Amino acid sequence: MQTTNNILIDELLHIVESTTVSAKKFKQLSDAQLKFKKSPESWSVLECIEHLNLYGDFYLPEIQKEILNAEKVPSASIVKSGAIGNYFANLMKVKDGKLKKMKSPADKNPATSELSVTTIDRFLKQQELLKQLLLQSRTVNLTKTKTSISLTRLIRLRLGDTLRFLVYHMERHIQQALAVHS
Amino acid sequence: MKAESEFTKKLISSFEKATEQKIISKGQFLIKEGEVEKHLYFVVSGAIRVFYLSEFEEQTIRFGYKGSFINSLSSFIKETPSEFYIQAIRKTTVKQISKDSLLKLVNEDADSLRQYIQLLEILVTQQIDREIDLLITSPYERLSRVLQRSPQLFQHIPLKYIASYLRMTPETLSRIRNS
Repeated sequence: MQTTNNILIDELLHIVESTTVSAKKFKQLSDAQLKFKKSPESWSVLECIEHLNLYGDFYLPEIQKEILNAEKVPSASIVKSGAIGNYFANLMKVKDGKLKKMKSPADKNPATSELSVTTIDRFLKQQELLKQLLLQSRTVNLTKTKTSISLTRLIRLRLGDTLRFLVYHMERHIQQALAVHS
Repeated sequence: MKAESEFTKKLISSFEKATEQKIISKGQFLIKEGEVEKHLYFVVSGAIRVFYLSEFEEQTIRFGYKGSFINSLSSFIKETPSEFYIQAIRKTTVKQISKDSLLKLVNEDADSLRQYIQLLEILVTQQIDREIDLLITSPYERLSRVLQRSPQLFQHIPLKYIASYLRMTPETLSRIRNS
């Protein structure tokens, strides 16, 4: 994938706006609705959101740290994907509104945590932080800046790809959460 | 807040007369972030905690159990949205009075006003103690300072919340407790 900082950041900000709106709507559901599971293996709304919080716990401080040390560039700069980063980002992307079932890593499984409406509040705070980081990323070299990933320490991804992965992954699970009551 | 002045006695008796009683089950909230605190609570039984939610964790800042006065204080004073949550750690009964009733009691006579100021002074010094707590690097010393102030803390509050209050992991807290 090749585009400019401006185009990529605008696309990602747009998704974050809409997931924020969905998350705010979830706050109006009752406790029982938030914890409702369609089947024993599937996730409740709160579990979908806690899963995203667990990713945010890893990625937001990591992205924050790398932005601080990153090279500044004009916002019209070209940003290029790496092969692996592009693969992961596209894997997460929702295609034609359909969700393919995937397995999550065990350490990101929300089923064991204590969940309440504060799970959503925490998500909304993470969304705010993510928005700030996206705005800062507009003038950062998204190709040369690298970030660690949660899956393995062996590779580091380009910041542009990490942001795409994180936001697409979020869009995916918010759609999953919306489907719980549709 | 546990100073036994005439005013606190009067305050407690007005709580005892208060008809507004709330029973909240474990995990339920007395107030959430963003709501304006309109009440002062007196804990009849159970245990509650005040916490601040960041992007990454819930930071416990205060506890209340049988006999404590508690609320989201800055919201109550300034009538602005609360920055804190107050949640029941287990099934808890509280009595509540409104800000108006409290102020009526405070302004009843000069003695009440003086004793109310004393109560606030105690609170200010407690906050300073807490500020020092958070500046101390040694986890062991942080724990011993808190135990000196509230020796019965572990009888009322589960370890994981005390760990959060002390800004350490539950693992660290049990290790230093046992050493």
